[in-house]
Amino acid sequence: MKRIDTAAESSTRLQRIREWTALPGGFGIITGISMFLTITILGVIYPLISPYTSDEFVGDSFEPPSWAHPFGLDQLGRDVMTRTFAAVPADIGVAFLGVSIPLAIGTLIGIILGISKNKFFVSLVSSIIDGINAFPLLIIAIAMISFLGPGLFNVIIILTIMNWARYARIARTRAVVVLQQNYIEAAQLMGYSKRRIIFKHVTPNVSSESLAYALSDFILVIIIVSGLSFLGLAARPPAAEWGAMIADGRTYLGDAWWITIFPGVALCWSAISLSFIVEGLSRRDRGN
Amino acid sequence: MTSNLFLRKVLGRLVRAVTISFWVMVISFLLIRLSPGDPAATRLGAGAEQEAVEALRKQLKLDVSPLEQFTSYTAGLFRGDLGVSLVNDVDVLETIRNTLPLTLTYIFLSVFFAFLISIPIATLIGWSNSASIVYSFRSITSVIIATPNFFIAMVGILLFSVQRDWAPVFGYVSEFPENLKYLWLPVSINTLILVAIISRVLQSSIVDTKSEEFVETGIIRGVGRTRFFFYYILKPSMAPTVVLLSYMMGTMLGATVILETIFSLPGIGRELVGAVLASDYPMVQGILLFFGVITVFLSFIGDLCAYALDRRVKI
Amino acid sequence: MSNSLVSFKQLRIDVKVTRSRRLRIVDSATFDVEHGQLMGLIGESGSGKTMLCRSLIGTLGRRSAYIESGSVIFDGTNLVNATKSDWREIRGKKIGYIPQSALAGPNPVITIGDQLAEAINQGQKLDRETVHKRSIELLEMVQIRRPEIVLKQYSYQLSGGMKQRVMIACAIAQNPKLIVADEPTTGLDVTVQAEIMVLLKEIRKNLNTSIILVSHDLQLINSICDDVVVMHAGATVEKLPSEEIINALHPYTHALYNSRIDLVEPRGKLVTIKGQPPTVGAWPTGCRFADRCDFVQDKCLFGTQMELLKADTNHETACIRYDEVFLGAKK
Repeated sequence: MKRIDTAAESSTRLQRIREWTALPGGFGIITGISMFLTITILGVIYPLISPYTSDEFVGDSFEPPSWAHPFGLDQLGRDVMTRTFAAVPADIGVAFLGVSIPLAIGTLIGIILGISKNKFFVSLVSSIIDGINAFPLLIIAIAMISFLGPGLFNVIIILTIMNWARYARIARTRAVVVLQQNYIEAAQLMGYSKRRIIFKHVTPNVSSESLAYALSDFILVIIIVSGLSFLGLAARPPAAEWGAMIADGRTYLGDAWWITIFPGVALCWSAISLSFIVEGLSRRDRGN
Repeated sequence: MTSNLFLRKVLGRLVRAVTISFWVMVISFLLIRLSPGDPAATRLGAGAEQEAVEALRKQLKLDVSPLEQFTSYTAGLFRGDLGVSLVNDVDVLETIRNTLPLTLTYIFLSVFFAFLISIPIATLIGWSNSASIVYSFRSITSVIIATPNFFIAMVGILLFSVQRDWAPVFGYVSEFPENLKYLWLPVSINTLILVAIISRVLQSSIVDTKSEEFVETGIIRGVGRTRFFFYYILKPSMAPTVVLLSYMMGTMLGATVILETIFSLPGIGRELVGAVLASDYPMVQGILLFFGVITVFLSFIGDLCAYALDRRVKI
Repeated sequence: MSNSLVSFKQLRIDVKVTRSRRLRIVDSATFDVEHGQLMGLIGESGSGKTMLCRSLIGTLGRRSAYIESGSVIFDGTNLVNATKSDWREIRGKKIGYIPQSALAGPNPVITIGDQLAEAINQGQKLDRETVHKRSIELLEMVQIRRPEIVLKQYSYQLSGGMKQRVMIACAIAQNPKLIVADEPTTGLDVTVQAEIMVLLKEIRKNLNTSIILVSHDLQLINSICDDVVVMHAGATVEKLPSEEIINALHPYTHALYNSRIDLVEPRGKLVTIKGQPPTVGAWPTGCRFADRCDFVQDKCLFGTQMELLKADTNHETACIRYDEVFLGAKK
């Protein structure tokens, strides 16, 4: 009896998943999520099971891909496959921090701006936000590195200092709209406390938009982190990082394409997986 | 009355641009103060003599109070004095003036070609009702947009410079016919990325325009084919694209930094990277300020164009 | 055939949803519009009235819809088989169209003058002087003050009511025999709505055109129309002279009439029609209003009877029990 029940239940769950996938954009979202999970899981697991470490010289320089070294060896004889997957924390991890910290700070500041009644404070902070947003993110990151010095940790600091402003602007605009909605007025009339209104009503409605932006910002930040490393301004050798590895391989492009191409594919793979999710979600949003 | 409203809007937007520029200036002034410790000491390294550090502090005007620093910095800006390079004593403004034309040339070339290619693509796909064509178009463009430009550049170099000798790997000659040999690959890469971005926005805004009521009234009025295409489809769809482009200016300028470095084109972006690697603070600060201000004014111009195309645009 | 201006007969309109799926939007539309008649067409959203209008102006294809069967005869031409060049002769010239939302009706990127000129030229090229004179004349006909200035303006500079007046001016530019007005007052203030209605009535009088006026607001159009056609779930269910509306012979028309909001004589309780209109395309057999009808009987649930029954000289209804329910009650 019980067995039948669970079978029926699991079939409906499967059915539900299938129906969800059949909705607009479902295929893109599923593909994107599986691609993203694949690269992150490989990034965690492969360095553990790999016979080599990322900065160990295991053979001759420029050894082409083979069964022992599917991605080949680099100019110093390090295993490119191990290095490619060992770079996941440096790229995806750093980008994740570089998005989530500004997301939290910026959304908070944006909501405060949205509800604040102090005109001077609001216009002062808003113009600072406009000023920060005026700089192209990559350019100001490059410039700040010259004052802070290169390194992945500094990249996180730079992203925190500079990227919150974009989230603050989104959250502020959204908070102003949300505060004018009827349900906020209703909540006020019902005598709910200010804190309850802000946390239960305003924040969830504001953060949905910020989260949507964060997802596409994630792509941009991955590209910026790897781009900075490519220029030699973020990850420093011998650290494994895609941008830096691509820059390393650049000199030997003609003779040893694998040094450049495999980290590049991993980088594109991550960014593209996220963009499939973004694309799928926006298709679902539009409903076609 | 009409022109008054227009003028008022434009002036309002200009005031905003100037205000933002002020903050851009403040921020680029403040950045050098962010560095942990003494910038002068950092630049000269650990073994530097005390006197040399002091001299550099004086040159960077770090020896006076912050307020004095700011006033002298601002005063310098109004005189057109962005400081002098620490590396080769060249005036920063002079360097910008020398390197900017190349950067602008290839940005404008790529924007021009991108529009030339995007308009027919976006129109054709906006017109097709086949879901599979639209879906594959959107997938392909999103893949191109998500691919970092330096990786596209690497693949481009591998295909066109390494395997065939169509594009020199680096170097640059500034004379007209020869420079095309050096420019075509970076311009094509930039164009490819821009085409993906522009055609996406244009396509979706053409789809939106198509379902607008005024298109229906245009059909009923028997508007001729060409006029219908330009005034009922393309022009109303252009404004969102131009707005997007004006927002994208910053990202585009950022992208040139990487492409210029890869192809060693002597543009302003490569100058910035060089200055950062050499800890040439006045140069970094000057170029950063310049990038900020130019982004603000390019997006001002972009908004104006969009507003001129379609008065529904909010500026 | 009769000498009506427009004659819909058993019209069926389908929409292509996917390559193999079709959705029927209009299933059975049958009614005539006479010369110079102001015909109201009323129904809830999803009843198919907008698609019916589109069949008259040949823009069904834009919504990937097409006429599956039946006929639309306009002035002797069957529009079902109309070619592109037929349409060029008909729409804009013989049939004017006033769009649904006044706010999005005018093209935002060209001036009002240019749009009027397009409507006046209709593909040919008249000299500027003539066009200008005619434009002014048209704007005066729709009671726009300072037409010289309006000609140079863009739509964003006009109020909603002004925009709709401009759209009416475009629609009458060629002295059409028929004007199709698809919910022309959506999104306008109540006072402006009334002004537009009065204007339409006046234009009908001055130009002697027929007008098909579509609305979901029975009260709004009942006051100015000659006849009213009621649509429900893709089918015409009743056709009657507007002053007869209180003696309607279809429960749906009754329900519509009773659910109106009467601002002049508030009746206290607001009556609504119970239930939801059936899903488009998933219509039940028998009478499609049966689920929501107070007088439903078993025989209402069967059959595919959708023809209108003649109850009186000018009065047709699709309710098979009209004589029992309404005429019986009256006696």
